Amino acid sequence: MLQEAEHVVSQISGADIATAAKYLAAGFVMGIGSIGSAIGEGIAAAHALDGMARQPEMEGALLRTMVLGQAITESTGIYSLLIAIVLLFVV
Amino acid sequence: MFGPLGKKLIAHVSIGGFSFSFDLITIIVSWIVIALLVIFALFLRRSLRQDVDEKPNRVQALLDVLIDLVKSQLTSSFSSDQLARDLFPFIATLFMFILVSNLISVIPYFESPTKDLNVTLSFGLLVFFMSQFFAIRKKGVGKYFKGFIEPYPFMLPLNIVGELAKPLSHSFRLFGNMFGGAIMLSIVYSFLLTSWGLPLVVNAFYGLFEGAIQAFVFAILAVAYINVAVET
Repeated sequence: MLQEAEHVVSQISGADIATAAKYLAAGFVMGIGSIGSAIGEGIAAAHALDGMARQPEMEGALLRTMVLGQAITESTGIYSLLIAIVLLFVV
Repeated sequence: MFGPLGKKLIAHVSIGGFSFSFDLITIIVSWIVIALLVIFALFLRRSLRQDVDEKPNRVQALLDVLIDLVKSQLTSSFSSDQLARDLFPFIATLFMFILVSNLISVIPYFESPTKDLNVTLSFGLLVFFMSQFFAIRKKGVGKYFKGFIEPYPFMLPLNIVGELAKPLSHSFRLFGNMFGGAIMLSIVYSFLLTSWGLPLVVNAFYGLFEGAIQAFVFAILAVAYINVAVET
């Protein structure tokens, strides 16, 4: 049993470890990187909803500003997506 | 001359020592989008009446409402009415092209051109150069360059980097959204090809909803960038 395990371990090469690290890193990048943009977009939507509930006649301007702010907040999430793509397909 | 790269069809051309690579599918689908827009425009023009005094028909009334909507949005976003009038054709064309090229991915075997970084980066650079051109035209060359050393001269590198980061983030945003949607679609299709309902829903979400939102966001950000460059 122990000898079998040692045999399997000796089969793992450096390239395998690098591949495993690549996939792990891509997963971590997407998972951790999207937290910030998700929270930020949620805050923007919540406050825009507050404003709309208080002043329904401002809905158009609020919606436009909310979408603009969310698009800018989203860029960190997009950057992490790009880094994940680079890790998976390029590196 | 043609070499497949994944599912892409790449044409390698070398002219005078420089080698260029073209993604043929992107180019072909872009031309299809342009043809669709032109055919639609010609089709709509046929139903417009030349005589102003005549009663407008249904298509003309719809077009009037749409153009008034876009114009009122632009005049409330831009600082001056003159700027809104100058940039209305540019922003509207950008929006229509991106909208149609996002929506075309709903049709099977059509890859949307905005999934290619080359297309979105060229749009981002287009908006960047338009904003710099309008800023120079509004403020004059001296005031334009003086804007880079404000509020303090040691902020110059920061201002330059900040200006150059805009087209990058602008184009990466559209590219990342479209490419991420395409990756999600391909994952869903590879997992759930047997259950026919769900891929349709996912395709509708990423093709129609995300496509429309991202085209709107791109146009509104172009307006905001040009407005900021002209104003400050």
